[in-house]
Amino acid sequence: MGRLFKQSLLLTLLLLSTQLQAAATRVVSINLCTDQLLLLLADESQVASITFLAQDRTSSFMAEQAAHHTVNHARVEELIAQQPDLVLASEYSDPALVLLLERLGFQVERFPSANAIQTIRDNIHRLASLLGQERRGDQLIAEMDRRIERIAAKPRATRPRALFYQVRGYTSGKNTLQDEALQLAGWQNLSSQVGISGYAQIDLETLLLAEPEQLFTSSYAANSDSIGQRQLRHPVLQQLAGGKPMAEIDYRFWICGGPMIADAIEALDVAHWQ
Amino acid sequence: MNKLSQKHLLQLFTLLLAALTVSSLFVGSNPIPIVQALLESFSDDPSIFAIILTEVRLPRTLIAVIVGATLGASGAAMQGLLRNPLASPGLIGSASGAALGAVIVLYFGLVSLFSLALPLGGIIGSLFATLLVYLLSGRQAGTVTLILAGVAVNALTLAMISLLLNLAPSPYAVQEIVLWMLGSLANHSLDDLWVMLPGTLLGWALLLGCGRKLDALTLGEETAQSMGINLFRLRWRVFLAVALAVGSAISVTGSIGFIGLVVPHLLRPLVGYQPGRLMTVSALGGAILLLAADISVRLLPGSTEINVGVITSLVGAPFFLYLILKTRRYQL
Repeated sequence: MGRLFKQSLLLTLLLLSTQLQAAATRVVSINLCTDQLLLLLADESQVASITFLAQDRTSSFMAEQAAHHTVNHARVEELIAQQPDLVLASEYSDPALVLLLERLGFQVERFPSANAIQTIRDNIHRLASLLGQERRGDQLIAEMDRRIERIAAKPRATRPRALFYQVRGYTSGKNTLQDEALQLAGWQNLSSQVGISGYAQIDLETLLLAEPEQLFTSSYAANSDSIGQRQLRHPVLQQLAGGKPMAEIDYRFWICGGPMIADAIEALDVAHWQ
Repeated sequence: MNKLSQKHLLQLFTLLLAALTVSSLFVGSNPIPIVQALLESFSDDPSIFAIILTEVRLPRTLIAVIVGATLGASGAAMQGLLRNPLASPGLIGSASGAALGAVIVLYFGLVSLFSLALPLGGIIGSLFATLLVYLLSGRQAGTVTLILAGVAVNALTLAMISLLLNLAPSPYAVQEIVLWMLGSLANHSLDDLWVMLPGTLLGWALLLGCGRKLDALTLGEETAQSMGINLFRLRWRVFLAVALAVGSAISVTGSIGFIGLVVPHLLRPLVGYQPGRLMTVSALGGAILLLAADISVRLLPGSTEINVGVITSLVGAPFFLYLILKTRRYQL
């Protein structure tokens, strides 16, 4: 009897302590995607550091806001020195680093990378409650949903055939943000139609046979050259879609799942008239 | 087979190459009506089938033929010149040097100055690495010394390639290390063909006149000299020819190994051990082997295509081991 009492007391205390646990005050993010969500949701004072990538204009949607924050390079020693009470990581963050941080007693929260808009909502929700910023989180989600709904509700006479073609011939098939975004913006995604799932290479012949009416791409590191980047300049691509050039949708909209998906969907919508 | 005359051998190989070239146009990720595509490709508004035939499959096939022929002929010429059965573009640095030259030019912006910068980089890199191996091993080098020098220079160039690709401004460069070590023929355009063609043709032309001199060299350097052959000039000519041809080819496709080693070896008995005749036959044989390897890569199942350099190395490396065992037997 006494044992049961002790156990239930312990449980009550534990529950109380998690509820009373103050919102994180010194948050370190070691991944570009959590960087951006953190900057969107947290008070300035809650952010201890973000990764250096968050300040890069081509990959980060939040580069401007990130500019005056302390940066880290996801190295264990600099992270310890910052004494965070919460570390934000992605599911793809270096497992050895995450394990070490946890063993040293830091609270590490790992966020799944978003391949659907629902995951974006879930991530925002979860981080907002960790930060004690639930209201801001709900506002962010509502605003994103409102903008997406405006595009999705547009009546479309036709849904032109399109696909994403990236460096090294990579494309986005089923279960990707791009697939969902293309369909919401009134396009057919040929990549998922030819049976591609996730991010995978599409070979040139399959691409040509699908006869796309519009190619989308997201240029990255525009002033550099590589075999992979040269593939986007293959002469055969210029003969597609009646010589229509590829449409650019910035990488910073997709590289991480976040409310900026609404910007991407709006850009895809505008591409109908270009 | 030994009774086969040279003429018949060439006819047979040409026929085989022609058959492979035609069947290569039929092999791709999707079946397309080739005859219809061929007819449509002459119209003003070519269909998708015609575009696939002329812009995807044709360049790939022609590049395979040219690169294979270059590697085969260069291997035969090198083995004849150095009178060393293991001399070949892959082993004595010509190929890795070419890859290094191409990497420097492509990833650091020089290629944007003029399109022929790419093969030029490959040619210079190839010539430099080959000369380095030759100087390291010395003029009268034995097989082992030459191979050791080749191993050293290959290791150095591969390390340089990795280093440079890590430092390159393009975020995609690092992922392409494998491509330069095990080359690929996929996704090339007719533009790539025009870029590699001048250098390879010039190299072939230079090799063409060397046949008789290399034949004479089989009798020994002194005998060859007494027959009026300027060894110094011959050496430079072959080195330059190999650099021109291999450098241009590899700068577009990446290193494709072992063709220059295997093909001359297999064919040598068929041409009565004469380097001059071996070069032409090896060119045809190299083209056949690389084209066959590339067709098999396209036929393999799997979502991502394997680099053709993987196949040639898979076939070539065991053959190389066999050659080492064979030469060891003679030496011991």
